[in-house]
Amino acid sequence: MGAELTGNGNKEQGLSFQLGREKAHVLVLKPEELAQRNAILDAILNLSALRYTYQLVYLAAPRLFGASVDAMMFRSRGIGLLFYDERRIDEAVPAQSLQPEQATARSPDDDKAVVTELATLRTMYVEMERTINQLRDDLSSLHNPRPVREEPRILPATEVITTPPSFHQDRINVGELPSYFVNNPWLDVLAKRGSGERERIAG
Amino acid sequence: MDFGTSDFKFGPITLGEQPRIVNNRGYFPDKNSVMYKAFEATSDIIVGDDVPLYLQSAEDLSSRLIYPMRNGMIERNDDQAWRVVETLTSYGLEAFKPHPTNGFQGYYVVASLSSVSPRYMYERLMSAFLHSNQGMIRAVTVIPQPFAVAIGHGVTTCVVIESGHGNSQICPISKYPIRAAQVALNRGGGDANAITSEILKDAGYGDLANEEAVVRKVKESIGLVPADLDRAIEEARRSPRKVKARYRVPGTRVEIDLDKDSWTRFLIGEYVFNPNHELFESYFNRGMPKPRDVKMGDTVFKGMLDFGEAIAASVERCPVELQPLLYREVLLSGGNFSWAVPAKLEDLAVDAPTKVKLLLRDRGIKNVSVRMTTAPQFSVWHGCIIYGFAVPENYEWDWQRLEGWMKVPN
Repeated sequence: MGAELTGNGNKEQGLSFQLGREKAHVLVLKPEELAQRNAILDAILNLSALRYTYQLVYLAAPRLFGASVDAMMFRSRGIGLLFYDERRIDEAVPAQSLQPEQATARSPDDDKAVVTELATLRTMYVEMERTINQLRDDLSSLHNPRPVREEPRILPATEVITTPPSFHQDRINVGELPSYFVNNPWLDVLAKRGSGERERIAG
Repeated sequence: MDFGTSDFKFGPITLGEQPRIVNNRGYFPDKNSVMYKAFEATSDIIVGDDVPLYLQSAEDLSSRLIYPMRNGMIERNDDQAWRVVETLTSYGLEAFKPHPTNGFQGYYVVASLSSVSPRYMYERLMSAFLHSNQGMIRAVTVIPQPFAVAIGHGVTTCVVIESGHGNSQICPISKYPIRAAQVALNRGGGDANAITSEILKDAGYGDLANEEAVVRKVKESIGLVPADLDRAIEEARRSPRKVKARYRVPGTRVEIDLDKDSWTRFLIGEYVFNPNHELFESYFNRGMPKPRDVKMGDTVFKGMLDFGEAIAASVERCPVELQPLLYREVLLSGGNFSWAVPAKLEDLAVDAPTKVKLLLRDRGIKNVSVRMTTAPQFSVWHGCIIYGFAVPENYEWDWQRLEGWMKVPN
């Protein structure tokens, strides 16, 4: 047949095959399962559910079952029927190939409308997030006048920094800075970077 | 983020005194190996604390375990090394990903590279940050490691000597790094390992001489820096028991005893600071590689220049009126300057600052103050934190100046 056995991730019972571009699934009914109530009905329902995943679906049942089966029940649903015994396998009812539904082609206008709508939603989302953050900050400053930072594990400095630095000052509590900030003259030197002061000597 | 030769130190100001540290390395696992499949690695490069879980045979390590900054520099076309840097950058950011709803607007990232890094390294590193941004970076900058050391130490006019595994950099600082006065040496901790290995071979421990970890331990345990090499050797030969060097490898029965060759322990330290003594010639003649002048990027790394000469050469490229101020603050940074002085050998052995002072004195330079950085392992990271904290947001990146903030579009 040239079929290639494929994995089905154990989600479905039975065997799956790749036949060129078509995928086939065979549900195997064992002799002992025939005695179970609704075994055939369950098998047909399971295979019907797979009609949109596989182009060909088959039920493989023991030949013993052939005497009591109504082939029309399978033919009307496009489900193939195989009989097997210890010597051979026969195809009693061929499966009808069913091509998966092609996605309906959408017009470019539809895409454009969706994209526009998405962009609008995104803008609204960003605006909403900004407003929420603003509200959160306001609430936080009401509850806690001193800014609280994430993961505040900084060792307290024992001395006061004489020259507080520039733009991050509002976000960092100077009293909690690490020890290497204490009386560090670079805080002043670096804070003047870009202020027009050119003290560079070489390089 | 400090991209050191061995370690990558990273983390925000909120960590306080110490950064988070992982090895500055990346492992490219063999995708066909069972281990790789078993761990279901999704990446073809592993960095951080998980690296040991993926290590395979020792034979593979040299080709698969990449230390990108081993020599302080990465070749322009060394894509494997650059991939490690990019992955570490993402790793560093991911490790401190803030909660998305806390009003976070992006980190100001300060990275630090060797001072001899050519411009393309700045470009590639900046590019790595832009690619790994993930909306977490507001602006980024790169500063040289000696500059970061000076900042971390709170000294605005000084000479910083950073000595790593593969090379050493001497960089004068006067509120800015004085790039034109930098001097680089093609000598570092790795060279001290090399001569230790030769000494072990000569003493009959050839089997241990090829084990890098053992050699390094021996160097750290018995290596000494002599105040004066000739006098130390003379004294050692006169009183061999006084300088006897013995080291037991922890957890083993292996004991190294240099016995009558114990005087050679002074060669280890001397070689780091000054490899020009005639005694070293015999090692070169027997095959030990002589540190050569090499050109990497735009910089010539001098092989045989002693530290005194190198510092003087660097300072003398600066304005004359600045020179005395620079000599007054010489800062030594890096593991290659950690040399102990045993109590009984204080008359013969010295620490690194004293040795540098003596070398400068031999060149007629006095009024010198030399000291070690107080937290040599973290001082670069400290400098990065202060720089990121203090430099104004509107100080924009300039490719001529190689300073300022490069804004990252989000």
